[in-house]
Amino acid sequence: MIKLTAIEKVYRTSTIETLALDNINLEIPKGEFVSIMGPSGCGKSTLLNVMGLLDNPSKGAVEIDGMEISRYSDKKLARLRNQKIGFIFQSFHLINDLSVLDNVEIPLLYRTSTGRSRRELAKEALEKVGLSNRMKHFPSQLSGGQKQRVAIARAIVGKPEIILADEPTGNLDSVMGAEILNILLQLNQEGATIAMVTHDEQMARKTNRLIRLFDGRQVS
Amino acid sequence: MTKHLLKLIWNKKRRHGLVIAEILVSFLVLFGLFSLVLYNGQNYRQPLGFRYQNTWALNLNSGSDTAALIGKVNQIVGKIRSYPEVMAASLTESNTPFSMNTSNRTMEYEGVEIVSDVFFTDFDYPKVLDINILQGRWFQKSDLTSTYRPVVLNQEAALRLFGAENPLGKVLGSGENPNRVVGVIGNFKSRGEYTPLEPAAFELGNPQEHRFSACLIQVKPGVTAEFEARMMKDLGAMAKGWNLELSYLANQRKSKNQIATVPALIFAVICGFLLLNVALGLFGVLNLNINKRRDEIGLRRALGASATGITRQFVAEMWLLTAIGVAIGLIFAVQFPILHIFDLPTSVYTAALFLALASIYALVTVCALYPSSQAAKIQPATALHEE
Amino acid sequence: MLKNYIKIAWKVLLRRPFYTFITLFGITFTLTILMVIASFVDHLIGNHYPEVYRDRSVYISRVKQQDSLRQSTRISPLTFQFLNQYAASLKSADKVGIVNMFNQANAYSNGQRIKLGVKYANPEFWEVARFDFLEGKPFNEAHIRNRDNVVVISDKLRGQYFGGNGPATGKTIEIDNERFRVIGVVKGVPSTRPMTSGDAYFPYTVSKSNYEKQGYIGSFVVLATAKTRAGRKAIEEEYAEIIRRIPKPLEDDGMRVYHMESEALPYLESWLSNFVEEDGVPKFYSALFLLALVILLLPTINLVNLNISRIVERSSEISIRKAFGAPSSTILWQFVVENMFIALVGGVIALAFTLVVLTMINQSGWIPNAVLVINFPVFLVSILLCLLFGFISGVYPAWRMSRMPVADALRAG
Repeated sequence: MIKLTAIEKVYRTSTIETLALDNINLEIPKGEFVSIMGPSGCGKSTLLNVMGLLDNPSKGAVEIDGMEISRYSDKKLARLRNQKIGFIFQSFHLINDLSVLDNVEIPLLYRTSTGRSRRELAKEALEKVGLSNRMKHFPSQLSGGQKQRVAIARAIVGKPEIILADEPTGNLDSVMGAEILNILLQLNQEGATIAMVTHDEQMARKTNRLIRLFDGRQVS
Repeated sequence: MTKHLLKLIWNKKRRHGLVIAEILVSFLVLFGLFSLVLYNGQNYRQPLGFRYQNTWALNLNSGSDTAALIGKVNQIVGKIRSYPEVMAASLTESNTPFSMNTSNRTMEYEGVEIVSDVFFTDFDYPKVLDINILQGRWFQKSDLTSTYRPVVLNQEAALRLFGAENPLGKVLGSGENPNRVVGVIGNFKSRGEYTPLEPAAFELGNPQEHRFSACLIQVKPGVTAEFEARMMKDLGAMAKGWNLELSYLANQRKSKNQIATVPALIFAVICGFLLLNVALGLFGVLNLNINKRRDEIGLRRALGASATGITRQFVAEMWLLTAIGVAIGLIFAVQFPILHIFDLPTSVYTAALFLALASIYALVTVCALYPSSQAAKIQPATALHEE
Repeated sequence: MLKNYIKIAWKVLLRRPFYTFITLFGITFTLTILMVIASFVDHLIGNHYPEVYRDRSVYISRVKQQDSLRQSTRISPLTFQFLNQYAASLKSADKVGIVNMFNQANAYSNGQRIKLGVKYANPEFWEVARFDFLEGKPFNEAHIRNRDNVVVISDKLRGQYFGGNGPATGKTIEIDNERFRVIGVVKGVPSTRPMTSGDAYFPYTVSKSNYEKQGYIGSFVVLATAKTRAGRKAIEEEYAEIIRRIPKPLEDDGMRVYHMESEALPYLESWLSNFVEEDGVPKFYSALFLLALVILLLPTINLVNLNISRIVERSSEISIRKAFGAPSSTILWQFVVENMFIALVGGVIALAFTLVVLTMINQSGWIPNAVLVINFPVFLVSILLCLLFGFISGVYPAWRMSRMPVADALRAG
């Protein structure tokens, strides 16, 4: 589903050059749940961004569902992200000025769909994460766990094949964290390919495969 | 998408209130400016209806002299007509074109009443001012003895009094001395190019009985001040102790027109600065807002918005805000034609409204484009980066 | 503390030059417009050359006559005869100048026509209106007694008629075919002061002044000075009494007059009576106030808007101050002071701009002989406007800032 070949990512500022990713080769088959671990600053998030087409690698090739995307235009990349990939972030990134339902609908706004079908899909997604009773609330009225569940609903509303989660439980206590992980495992069971960055060994152990990064290199 | 953006704007209405207020006021200012400019422009397109080049107005102020005034006035105009440099001269009242003096009267025809400028003249008035007679004729000698007092109207007066009916032969007013229309001329805008069409009526004064107080003189092109000095000296000798004030219609027209153009110009300059101020402010505010919304931009990009999509979103948000501001502004603006404030024609207001609309949209688009394109350049990976 | 605030304000100004530019542009432009307008209003109604005693003068500029039903009305300046008999003898007045309103004449020089504004005045006119004599002297009682054909001319006419700046005193000038001896040359007066502006000033006894006309409807007005500002009231009352005592109805200039009004008024009121019938002064000041409000409105909204948007930039600073115990009111004051400081900086620049604009207007000849200046009252008003502007545009954003919760602000930073 995702194939990375000889990925290198260099950050340049006027004074220093940092190698964030160094010769990463990685293949995640369809339906796999992979967790990525490593100390702070090892390049986990960068790796996830490259997989999510949010960041171009300095070198190497990214293949999504058999498509080599290095020559894709901004528009094509945007469409690919919209249809194939769902994102979950540590700090949720909900738009505070929109209601829960409106937040969940956002990915559908970037494809052709009718208002009613959007509404229905968003409700369905919220039901899946157990928040159908909070649709009219605003993010500021929700707890952290609830916010993250909204974010998950938003990630799955467009029925993407891939879900990328960047420390989805990082801002949550262990009970809520476990809850979120269970939802992700459930989604995996239903066929989603998931890559999750985490600090939590226990959680990582529940996934199919564990990838460790150190200083931009894959160590296991 | 529009609905989504509307929701976003609505939920942030308190923060947007000031931007909307700013757009609202700017819209009204533009509306005012365009109304003024269009009104003046529309008036300017209507020709004066007479000639002012090489034409002089001579005011005959007798001062403390009280003896045989009518005779002296006739001597003076006779002398003026005798110069080879003079093409034509006509006696009239002090309300010569572009002068500060006006004289008007209510005229009535079958219940329709209008207030019209009234000019007392003699037989040569159209010759001096090159006035085009559209219907009927100017005064002639036989008019002096007719039972009805003859009157010549301009088109505007005829239109307001008689509508589509033929004005010739119509009798105005009643009582011992009614007027009969003998001719109709085209425009006669004696207050300058920038004023609207007003009714004007010309009446015949018998030079042997009527004490005229001014004389209009058309001279040949190229006549010098040397002739003028000679003429004034001759006339001064004929009318001892009189104040003879000579002015050029061309100069008077200029200062008359300035009464319209100078305030419009000052208004335009102030508006220009105000709008520049608003443009810079909007630009700054948008820039700051986009920085504030980096998270959202990154997120939208991650969820599938393209870079141009982001630009479009921000411009569209501005357009929606503008629509709200303009909609409120319209409520105020339509009061002007409805309540007839300032008495401008509705067509001017309508055109001004559309122009103001177009300009305000141009203004916000220009202000929004750069910050929005900056927004599109924000890298989702860095925007979403977790500290 | 204040010094500290100003230091921070200065740093904020330098940190983001673009926003500083927008802010200062708004303030500078707005204040420049207001100051130019203030200066123009002062030019119109203040104490200026040659009417330097305006603040302790009254003007009699018109008489209003009506028939028995008040249907037909005529308004006009007055006759010299009436004014000389009744106004010149006002006991409460210090000096009474009588002069005509609008009259024109022609002179010809080197094949060019010169159009002149002419004034016919009594000798006391020169004591009420303090002209600068570039050469020569004003006319006096002796000239009046001898009915001399003498004239005082403006520097502009001297240049046009005699050429150059050489002395003209003693030379002869021909105006409307009559010859006059020049006895003095004065600095020109802008046309915005219609009672004193002219090119040639004659003793009222010259032939065309029409000073012998009887009755009321004429062409003359009065400028009368009192010893003090407060003394004006007495003149107004004394003159009102004179008008009241005139037996009515009376026959004047072909009209039977039942109601006749004429007032001695301070300049502003007298000037405004040409445009509005009643309550001219309050209407005038409300119109000015409204104009200022309209001009201030947009830039103020603009600035408030910008300031609010910049709260985010400052949020970490605010939250740190709050975390270390600054109460909300202190934060509020800090930002208000900061804004007023910026407004004052803008005010200083505006002052410079105003000077440039006024110089341009003065030199453009838009109003001939006009000298627009920033005088002390105008300057004071401007400074007040600056502070007001800073206060208005600062206080609401500052209030919003001061209410910002500490935790939010720290996180946003």
